[in-house]
Amino acid sequence: MAEDIKPALEGSRPGEMPHTNNLRGGITVAVLALVLLLGAFAVCSNTIMFQIGPIGVSSTMVPRVLALLTAAVGVLIAFNLIPVRGPQDFYGGLTLVLLAILALAASAELPGQRGFAFGPGTAPRLFALLLVGLGIAVTVVGMTSDGPPIEKYRIRGPAVVILGIFLFAALIRPFGLVVATYVAFMVSIMGSTEMRWIESLIGAAVMTAFCWFLFVKLLGLPFQLWPQDNAHVILFNQFEEVIRQTWIILLKMVEFKSC
Amino acid sequence: MSELLGNLALGFGVVFQFVWYTFNFFGTQVSVPIPMNVLFCLIGALVGTLVGVLPGIGTVATIAMLLPITFGLPPVGALIMLAGIYYGAQYGGSTTSVLVNIPGEATSVVTCLDGHQMARQGRAGAALSIAAIGSFFAGCVSTVLVAALGAPLTSLALLFGPAEYFSLMVLGLIFAVVLAKGSVLKAIAMILTGLLLSMVGSDLETGAGRMTFDFAELADGIGFPNIALGVFGFAEIIRNLELPEESREIVQAKVTGLMPTRKDLIDSSGAIVRGTVLGSLLGILPGGGAVIASFAAYTFEKKISKTPEKFGAGAIEGVASPESANNAAAQTSFIPLLTLGIPPNAVMALMVGAMTIHGIVPGPQVMTKQPDLFWGMIASMWIGNLMLIVINLPLVGVWVSLLRVPYRLLFPSIVVFCCIGIYSINNSPTDVIIAALFGVVGYWLTKHDFEAAPMLLAFVLGPLMEENLRRAMLIARGDVTVFFTRPISSVLLITAMILLVIAALPKIRRRRDEVFVE
Repeated sequence: MAEDIKPALEGSRPGEMPHTNNLRGGITVAVLALVLLLGAFAVCSNTIMFQIGPIGVSSTMVPRVLALLTAAVGVLIAFNLIPVRGPQDFYGGLTLVLLAILALAASAELPGQRGFAFGPGTAPRLFALLLVGLGIAVTVVGMTSDGPPIEKYRIRGPAVVILGIFLFAALIRPFGLVVATYVAFMVSIMGSTEMRWIESLIGAAVMTAFCWFLFVKLLGLPFQLWPQDNAHVILFNQFEEVIRQTWIILLKMVEFKSC
Repeated sequence: MSELLGNLALGFGVVFQFVWYTFNFFGTQVSVPIPMNVLFCLIGALVGTLVGVLPGIGTVATIAMLLPITFGLPPVGALIMLAGIYYGAQYGGSTTSVLVNIPGEATSVVTCLDGHQMARQGRAGAALSIAAIGSFFAGCVSTVLVAALGAPLTSLALLFGPAEYFSLMVLGLIFAVVLAKGSVLKAIAMILTGLLLSMVGSDLETGAGRMTFDFAELADGIGFPNIALGVFGFAEIIRNLELPEESREIVQAKVTGLMPTRKDLIDSSGAIVRGTVLGSLLGILPGGGAVIASFAAYTFEKKISKTPEKFGAGAIEGVASPESANNAAAQTSFIPLLTLGIPPNAVMALMVGAMTIHGIVPGPQVMTKQPDLFWGMIASMWIGNLMLIVINLPLVGVWVSLLRVPYRLLFPSIVVFCCIGIYSINNSPTDVIIAALFGVVGYWLTKHDFEAAPMLLAFVLGPLMEENLRRAMLIARGDVTVFFTRPISSVLLITAMILLVIAALPKIRRRRDEVFVE
């Protein structure tokens, strides 16, 4: 495992490291911010968040402006115009800003304060704005003080384990507890580099039996135990549903509302 | 005093409730009395230890993982079992520290220092039993303390209006930030993230869907167990996969001589008492109670010791005092939860989650409306501690053999166990997927050195905070200064501010870092 020994490449100090990592980081930030900008144009509301002089800033304006600014920051990073001294804090803070923008956009259409009463949108917007502030503060810390580089992300192990969990979620209804447990165990064990086949097959069987005993026998939870008759149809329908939902969201995002 | 005894008696009455179990014995109906709640506590302590012993799985993950198995029980039984799981998990962590030198969780990091040295000198038995005895003593004292402070604090809570509640929660969150390790700024950012996450779902007053992206599954909000298991369970597993299979240095010698010698007992008695006092005090404070308590107790003990050089080389005081302290703190951290309804740390946040699932809203009204539940839980704390000493010491051998199971087989088991657990809560595959996504989030958080515990705490407090903020503002007719003009509220907020300023001072910050590095 040679890649373990190499120092993590992410992050850089000006003059010391190649630009490539800031290029990658900056592009990622810019792309995410632009996606959010697109999303922020799909919502529209006349709720005034605050007044700057005579101009009232609406709740849809705020995420749009912030997303645009963040995208610009991303471009600046990519061209190495911003010193990144503590990449952990720098990118961590920016991600929080992005998250807060997402929250601002998602709650933009909720009604705000009426009289003395908070509306449903007041608190989310309030806390999201605070998060924007803190995210910027963390980012600034990452710009002004040296920090450790970001540890290298391992893709394979986590991805395999997450896949195992997803498979469990997909299989549990149509194919029942036994199949789902066995499959999830076998898939997630692949995430380890030290997997041994025989031991794993036996381990999966033992664990399946244990879970059946504990959850079904002892705790009496109403689980589908074995595959249903039309298991594959249900499985297919589930996938269709997921794709449909994703599609609807995508459609909504590219919708353009000017206001 | 007599009231206190009466209440405790009520509690023990609940715990020792017998249920007549009738079964068919060779054709005749036989009825046997079974102390159901004691049984729940016993099972809880057992499985809690079982999971807590596994290296790399902390208390929060253990409780989150085992939450689902309590769902089928009546509320009192479920909470008693959870309390058992909590103590079991804590004790399991100490066992791993002593025997393998891998702390199961943050509270037992210091136990490693001297505990493992003792084990290498062949005194693992003495270390484990002193840990258990210390914990038991601390448990006895703090149980009485919880019972004694419960009533007065509850009456204090009745003075609280929405503004005071809001300020109190702010103070609690700030405490959590100050006592947590790492950057104060980042911890506050995590709190805000948690608050935002808690607002996903229907609005409390108008029912409007907030930030749900029109997903029907998000209409009720993101489930608390999903976040907890994702961030503490799945993320932990993913992260552990990165570490090379460590050569676990399990103490191979058979653990013999469980009883400590007379000298051990004399040596450690002072440490146990001091650890208990320190732990009880620190546990009441919101924040990382138990963790801080164990660190503080160890440092304190080392400082006043006549032979500080023995610390780190197998001093029994170095095991006795942090173990007593963390158990005392674990117990007294129930005080803010049971009396004010405010969870002071992530573990208590899980307890709130469990209570809510059983339809109990934690707070001052629990004590008056459901005294059996309140006092039953307090009594069960003591029983839980007793269980640890009675069952766990003889079972040390079993836990050791569990430690020999390689991680490559352990982690998929934990994964499927968590999956089934989450699924069983609502029979919803979506919940499993949400938890998996939060596993990725948790992985990202560790990569950027963010603490997940403040986020979880804020997530639980979020709805309460928003509700009280809205109410306070409505009552004050939109006047923000209400939080500073009402005396109790202003004292709380000013305390919070002072704490923040102190934590931000460079000198204190360095001191804080030192405490956690040690």
